[in-house]
Amino acid sequence: MSHPPLLQAVNLVVHYKSHQAIDNLNLSVPAGCVYAMLGGNGAGKTSTIATFLGFNLPTSGQVLIDGETPQQNPEAVRAKLAYLPENVALYDYMSGLENLSFFCTLAGIHLNKQQATELLNGTGLQADAHHKRVAMYSKGMRQKVGLAIADAKQAKVMLLDEPTSGLDPSAANDFAQRIRNAADSGMAVLMATHDLFNAKQVADRIGIMKTGRLVEEFDAHSVAHDELEAKYLAHARGL
Amino acid sequence: MIIAIVKKEILSLLRDGRFLVLALSIFILLSGFFLASSAEYQQIQAEKQAIGADVRQQWDNQGVKNPHSAAHFGIYVFKPDLALAAIDPGLRPFTGQSLWLEPHKRNLNRHTPAADQTLSGRFGQMTAAFVLYALLPLMMIALAFNAISQEREQGTLRMLHCLGISGKQLLFGKFIGLLSAFVLVLSPAVLVSLSILAYQFSLNSDDLSRMLILSLGFLSYYAIFAALSMAVSAALPSSRAVLFSLVAFWLASVLVAPRIGAAVAESLQPSPEATQFWQAIHHDIQNGLDNDGNAKAREAAFKQQVLQQYGVERPEDLPLGYTALLRHFNDEYASKVHDLHFGKLRDSFQQQQALSHLASCLGPTIAMRSLSMTLAGMDLRHQYHFDDAAEQYRHYFIGLTDDWDRQRSQGTQRNAEGDNLDWHSVEAFNYSPPNWQFALTTAWLDLVVLAAWLAAALSLLILAARRLKP
Repeated sequence: MSHPPLLQAVNLVVHYKSHQAIDNLNLSVPAGCVYAMLGGNGAGKTSTIATFLGFNLPTSGQVLIDGETPQQNPEAVRAKLAYLPENVALYDYMSGLENLSFFCTLAGIHLNKQQATELLNGTGLQADAHHKRVAMYSKGMRQKVGLAIADAKQAKVMLLDEPTSGLDPSAANDFAQRIRNAADSGMAVLMATHDLFNAKQVADRIGIMKTGRLVEEFDAHSVAHDELEAKYLAHARGL
Repeated sequence: MIIAIVKKEILSLLRDGRFLVLALSIFILLSGFFLASSAEYQQIQAEKQAIGADVRQQWDNQGVKNPHSAAHFGIYVFKPDLALAAIDPGLRPFTGQSLWLEPHKRNLNRHTPAADQTLSGRFGQMTAAFVLYALLPLMMIALAFNAISQEREQGTLRMLHCLGISGKQLLFGKFIGLLSAFVLVLSPAVLVSLSILAYQFSLNSDDLSRMLILSLGFLSYYAIFAALSMAVSAALPSSRAVLFSLVAFWLASVLVAPRIGAAVAESLQPSPEATQFWQAIHHDIQNGLDNDGNAKAREAAFKQQVLQQYGVERPEDLPLGYTALLRHFNDEYASKVHDLHFGKLRDSFQQQQALSHLASCLGPTIAMRSLSMTLAGMDLRHQYHFDDAAEQYRHYFIGLTDDWDRQRSQGTQRNAEGDNLDWHSVEAFNYSPPNWQFALTTAWLDLVVLAAWLAAALSLLILAARRLKP
């Protein structure tokens, strides 16, 4: 973990009107690292990701992506990152291949058909699904298109919001493997999740959030699965 | 990037079934109304030709009679309509089909089917133009209302944002895409209508110029609705709120503004009653304008002047018909009075029209409606152009019959006669409508209002793009 941080939150505070969503958050994710943010509903995980995306304005402190804040140069910062929400939003009336080409064109990447096909193949999306309309895709298939967009962008940073929620175990495992591969190729990954198993499987570091605060942070490889569960439940129960 | 968004918008329209439904609806609506308007136009033209030929034949065959009595038979003239009148009949139901030309008096148009309607009744007639300026904006709203709000609701707006594209690129790409898609939807109906027009009428370069300007006008008009729909869709949180807001704007622009405009114009610049109008003319002819003296004094002065000119002491001794001479003198004075009052009446109507544009702050429909009828040659200014030509013609043929009467009689005798050869020699009324530059000059206020709305709508779109939140 000697790489410089690509994602950083520095003394970050975010308020939604009178509600404090994030309370003095400090974290950093270097290249090649998967950071899993665990926490219950309302813990501040999604707010943190939205702030990195530039959708929320910090009340104080700042977020940095490859050394730049999203407020300074939003378009350039967003060009460096890939975002996969719980449900990857695609255009239902277009095929997976068309969605990939469209999103890539908007990102300034012009793919020919072969390149687009290779990218989708690389995510494991079956070839016979490439030309089917996305309306017929499962959640996992949509995520594969989302991953293909991230691959095509050659994003430095990936932000994932509950990516394995609703996936069957096999698809979740497959997805985790692909995230691990992305990190191993030099990407910094910040993942908000409820899924302890997935976090333990894929993450390098784990942070537990509660009511907007990062209450505990540790090396994922240093804890066993039942120990992780015990820590999580302890924080969830306020122990 | 914008081209990719434009392509995607068109693809979305084609694939989600909206294209078929909208294209079919617009095709049926526009073609249906156009065919009905066109058939009505053809029928009116045929009636005008038939009646014109009949009336002329009757004029030519009056037989031997006094030239002034022949003039009293009168002549009907008909305003020839431009090809675009088949799309927008404009004020035809109010300005009438024909003008009755007779001695002593300048008439208003006759045979106005909607003579009893108020100014506000001029709006909302079911014509092809009504489909273009009233119903199609509603279809544009149907296409555009969820352009951004749906992307926000489905999460694709966040995906797009994360690609690094700016709100301005996204909104303007979608704006151009929607406008292109709308033109695509509209094109089958427009092509069929144009084919019918080209088949039924011999279109000249002036007709084509007017059509081109009208097309650009409508494109700007739809661009206003597209930009506003997009801006509202970006600004409001839900598709439902966007739809309610845009339908309210459509109602205000298409249905409320014309009526408010008409009511404001009537209250600030009331139209004179017909009886008052004719009474004022009669009064001024009898009593004279300024220091001209009354009718008796003017006639006495004229008589004195004529007697002096010809060196005789009594009208009976004049070598030419004094009755025709005096009549011509009185008619000229009556024309002066008529011109004055007709001028005031026109000014009043023009001011009403300009005042009705005050309600354009509610929407661009008044201006578009007015531009459409002006380019179709069915507005007040084109009508006045025709009326002036008809009045000149009235002067010509009444002057001719007065000449015959004066030359073929002596003193105060009234025994002058003319025959069919004379009546035949009166030239037919040959009217050339003004060109498209006249229409464009006439419609300057409409063009300014449309340009202002377009600028405002695009400014709102830019503002919405700056504030766009996923």
